Parts: sequence; structure tokens; C-alpha cells
Amino acid sequence: MEQVIANGLYLGAQYALIALGLTLIFALMNVLNFAHGQMYVLGGFVVYEVYGLMKLPFVVALIAAAATLAVLGAVLERFLFRTVIRRSEREESTMLLAAGVAYFLDAAILLIFGEKQRGVRKIVNGVFMWDNLILPWDRILVAGLAIAFIVAFILMMQYTKPGRAMRAMAQDRTAAQLMGVPVAFYGLVGFALGAMLAGLVGGLLVTITGVNSGIGGPISIKAFMMVMIGGAGVVGGAIAGGFILGMLESVGLTVLHSYGDVTYLVIFIAMMIFLAIRPNGLMGKPWG
Amino acid sequence: MAPMLSLENVELYYDHVYALKGVSVALEAGETVALIGANGAGKSSILRAITGLNRIRKGAITFEGQRIDGLDPAAIVKLGIAMVPEGRRVFPLMSVRDNLMMGAFSRSDAAGVRASLDDVLHRFPRLKDRLRQAAGTMSGGEQQMLVIGRALMAKPRLLLLDEPSLGVAPKIVQDIARSIVAINRDEGVSVLLVEQNSRMALRISHRAYALSTGSIALSGLSADLVKDERVQRLYLGGEV
Repeated sequence: MEQVIANGLYLGAQYALIALGLTLIFALMNVLNFAHGQMYVLGGFVVYEVYGLMKLPFVVALIAAAATLAVLGAVLERFLFRTVIRRSEREESTMLLAAGVAYFLDAAILLIFGEKQRGVRKIVNGVFMWDNLILPWDRILVAGLAIAFIVAFILMMQYTKPGRAMRAMAQDRTAAQLMGVPVAFYGLVGFALGAMLAGLVGGLLVTITGVNSGIGGPISIKAFMMVMIGGAGVVGGAIAGGFILGMLESVGLTVLHSYGDVTYLVIFIAMMIFLAIRPNGLMGKPWG
Repeated sequence: MAPMLSLENVELYYDHVYALKGVSVALEAGETVALIGANGAGKSSILRAITGLNRIRKGAITFEGQRIDGLDPAAIVKLGIAMVPEGRRVFPLMSVRDNLMMGAFSRSDAAGVRASLDDVLHRFPRLKDRLRQAAGTMSGGEQQMLVIGRALMAKPRLLLLDEPSLGVAPKIVQDIARSIVAINRDEGVSVLLVEQNSRMALRISHRAYALSTGSIALSGLSADLVKDERVQRLYLGGEV
């Protein structure tokens, strides 16, 4: 029982961080970033290169992953998404662009890093044991870091001037513009930040589950599920969605164990029923 | 002396449909000027042109001697023009305090911002008890006070108000009208007021322009316009 909850929290922390990045980009730019999973994968490979191959400290590798993805996010926003948003009235255009970016990154990652599953040496050794609870220390550290990043993100959004500006922009873009918020600049910052969060999670998890070029799509799907459960564009919703999915996965893997690999099948069915009843998710607003 | 704000022969189009065809408006420092007219006459388009939300196609907009058409909204706010948009448009999920602080986004003088916050809370005491409440949960009248306060947080020299009486209870309309007069008189903030409630607009303004399908149909001192037979028929609904 404790083990199931601990696993759920461990999964939930990383999922919530993934969902936060996705929801941030959606809230600020109205863009559904289908390439979020690929950004996660890229973050994993940067850590693999810097920490695994170049043998630099893990912190350096994590910073390198964050920086790489922030730059990638900024470049994508500035040269692709901004142009498309300006020229096209239709929301599908940015969705198609995001899907195109996802395929491009998939191909580029495969080309650069190959198709092999890659892992790195453990960041800390040992296992934490208490009663019937068994948790490797590196998982505890990764979950702790994920939660620390979530807290830092919330504090930034809540109490700093740029954070306030981004919240204002998500709630009413025109009104924010009238307050003097340079919305184009903050769109770029938000995109960079969202991509950076994806890269950070990828960089954390490569130390535990490893990374391969094929997992981008499935990660994106999970990210979308969390955002749909919690409600699109709402920070609290992303976090709730992340922890709920983590918990469901953990419970499902235990309870449904004897029926084979059906956890996600059950989760999908449950989610469809849930969305039929609450199409905006737990905390979502009926967006225009 | 040149007026504080002037629009000269401004033309504005939404796609290919004109919203303003050659509008000229002037506002002297310290004045309250009203723009009245029916829905779609172009009143809000004038404000959207001044704030830079929409680019004008022809003409010129000058504020305190400087051309501002072509500048982006953020730059125009910095020059001292604040706008209260139509439909209130508070940031609904943010606290009243954060909404007010957003009004001061373009300022970097922390002490001045604190002083402005005190002034605004003094002017609208009802906001004081609700600083932590989410703005979207307040009544329409309270939200209207909040957005006026939010605009004042920018410490503007020119305040643009777009339909402040829209969707507000009649009793609150009186409060809002009094606030606008007080802001103009006590703080010397010039006001450009767009209103469908022409009666209220003419009562609290010095001068007014009446718009009709994208151009100025009439203009003059508000006190004269109220008595004008055409204004009474077209804009005041005849019942005097």
C-alpha cells in the first residue's frame, strides 16, 4: 500500500512537471505543443551526452539540458510559431505546425543520437527502506528535484513581475497589452520556459529509466492526458492532472497486474467517461 | 498651444471594412471629452487606434507633441496613456491586488507605485477589503471600479474609458460618473470617454463629439450639445 502511494507520488511529481510546461505554452500562446515529448527526449539525450559520456557533474548536465531546450523553444517560437500565428487566423495551423515540429525532432533525434536505448550511471546509490517501503535514493532525489522545480515555478508565477505578466497574458491578452506587457516577448519567454521544463524532466529521468528516440510520442500523449484531466491552461490543473495520472498508473500496475498490460487501457476508458461528464477537466475554464 | 492629444484625418480599417474614415479629434490638457454615438459608429475604434491595438491606415495621432501612431501598445502606455477597456476585462483569476499591480506594470518606481496603490484604495475603499479576492468573483460595478483603479495605477496623464457604464446597475453608473469627474478635477488627468449612455457622457464632459458611421457628425461644448435638437433626437432618444 505505502509502496503504491510512494510510486504514485514519484510518477506524479515528474508527470506534473511535464504537464506544467505543456499547459504554460497553451495558456500563453494558445498552442498545443505536440512536440513536448520530443523536447523531453532531447533533454534526456543532452544529459546522456554531458553526464554519461563527457563525465561532467550531473548538475552541469541538467543545466545544459535546460539551456538547450530553452534556446530551442525560443527559436521555434520566434521563427515558426510567431510567424504562423501572425499570418493565420485558424488555430489548426499552429497545431499542424506543432505536429510537424514533433516529427522533425523525432527524425533529428534519431539521426543524431541513434535508435539505441541509452542510460547513465546512477546519480546516487543505495535504497531507502522503511517498514515494507522500498525506494531507491535516486528516485527520491529525482522526485524531490521535480517537486522543487514545480514549487520554484509556482513562486515565480505568483510573486514576480514577469510571472504576474504571464498570468495576466494568459487570462486576457488584450488587457495585458493595454497594461504595457510586451506580449510578443513574453510569448517567447513562455515558450522557452515550457520547453525547458520538458527538457528538465527528460534530463532527470534519463538517470532512472534511460531514454530512447522513440518515446517522445508516448510522453506527449501522457502530457495531453494530464492536461485534459486537470483542465487546459491552468497551473493547478496541470499539477493535479500529473499527480492523478501518476497515482492511477501506480495503482493500476498493482491492482490490474494479473490481467496483463491493461492499466492504460483502463485509464483511457476512465478518462473518456470523465471527459464526457466534465469536458473542461477538473479546473479548466470553457476556453473561447 | 497644441492640444495634448490630436487625431487628424484618421482612417482605420478592419480587414477591408472601414471603421473610421477621416476622423479628427482634439483634446486639451485637463479636459474631459466624450465620444458619443450608436453601436458601431466608430467610438471604440478611436480608442483602439490611440492605444495602438489597431494600426491606422491614414492620418496622424499626436500625443504631447509626439507622433504615436505606429508605436506598439506597451510604448504608448509608457508615454502616459492608460485605457479602461470595454467590458471591464479584469484578470479574473488574479487577486484584486495583483490586478492593480498589473496596472503599474510599465512603471519601475516602487515607492511611487505604493503611493498610487494607496491613492486608488482611498478613492475606491471597497477594493481595500477585497485585495485578496479573485477579481472575477466581484460584482460588475466593483469590477468597473477595479479596472478604473488599475488604469490609474499607471499614473496616466490621459485616461481613456471605453463604455464604463455598460452592464452596470444604474445606481453604480452614478458612482462611476462621480469618480470620473473627481479623477479629472482632483488629479488633473485628462479624460477621453466613450459612452453609449450619451446623457451621462454629456453631463460629465466639457466637450463632445458625436460619431456616425465612422465620421464625426457633430461636435461642440457638451452643455450646448445637450440642448441641440439633433442630439436630443439622435443620441438622447428624444425624451427630455
